Amino acid sequence: MGLAARHLEANGVPTVIMGCAKDIVEHCGVPRFVWSDFPLGNSAGRPFDVESQAQTLELAFRLLETAPVARTTVASPLRWAADAAWKHRFLDVGKLSPEEIAERRKEFDVVKAVAKAKREGA
Amino acid sequence: MSGPKIPFAPEDDVPIRYMDRTREYYQALGFSPYRWAHFTDAPFTPLATPLARTRVALITTAAPFQPEAGDQGPRAPYNASAKFYKVYSAAVDSKPDLRISHVGYDRANTVPEDLNAYVPLARLQEAVAAGRIGSLAPRFHGAPTNRSHRVTMETDAPELLRRCREDGADAVVLVPS
Repeated sequence: MGLAARHLEANGVPTVIMGCAKDIVEHCGVPRFVWSDFPLGNSAGRPFDVESQAQTLELAFRLLETAPVARTTVASPLRWAADAAWKHRFLDVGKLSPEEIAERRKEFDVVKAVAKAKREGA
Repeated sequence: MSGPKIPFAPEDDVPIRYMDRTREYYQALGFSPYRWAHFTDAPFTPLATPLARTRVALITTAAPFQPEAGDQGPRAPYNASAKFYKVYSAAVDSKPDLRISHVGYDRANTVPEDLNAYVPLARLQEAVAAGRIGSLAPRFHGAPTNRSHRVTMETDAPELLRRCREDGADAVVLVPS
């Protein structure tokens, strides 16, 4: 998505990305970025919370209007949860047993093979 | 020196380091590390018209539901067969059924049961009705979640630009899922 935003912008189209993965988006280097400190998959606000979705989109609009330079990030003030416990649960490899790791590896090999077949047939 | 404790936030309440976390995870599984796109600068084009007269396009990484492609429900495991590899477009007023089972969203913490949390189409339409933005481009566009940066840069991004221009979009909101 970052690469697409960069391409649009370089060709004269202003862009704004709404996302949750702050490090990945900023590592890419994008023109404008609204960051929500939410689990991946909630770039546009909290599920079933119209107000939070409208607030997040409004930040994107404000950024289009006011960002002074490229690589401007605005952090949504919304909180996913009262504490940070959820942040430890994403891809927590430390919690996996060797058997589970082997199982995940097998599953991922299948996923990769499926993706490859689909890509080559596309 | 002692006094009242300063109420700092907990040390671990910081942005998740997704690149480190993902790297560690896949290394533990025995895969070679992924290299994320990285630039130290970025292009910039100021908005040329007031937002109330701007036509906005939406780009998403969500995928249209494909009946033949297996479980794409909110609790589906990572489903590579639901991926797409070509840019697609659909009418913004078509009430699209868009899913994210084909990407690595945070399955430990969220259940994607509300489309509006990852595709802000309804909120954008409300913004048009409220006069906050001029209009919505007639189509939204789907960006493939391709692991090849080269394909993204040389094929998909130019195609997205072409479609946005075709629709007369003055600005674009991109929402990864």
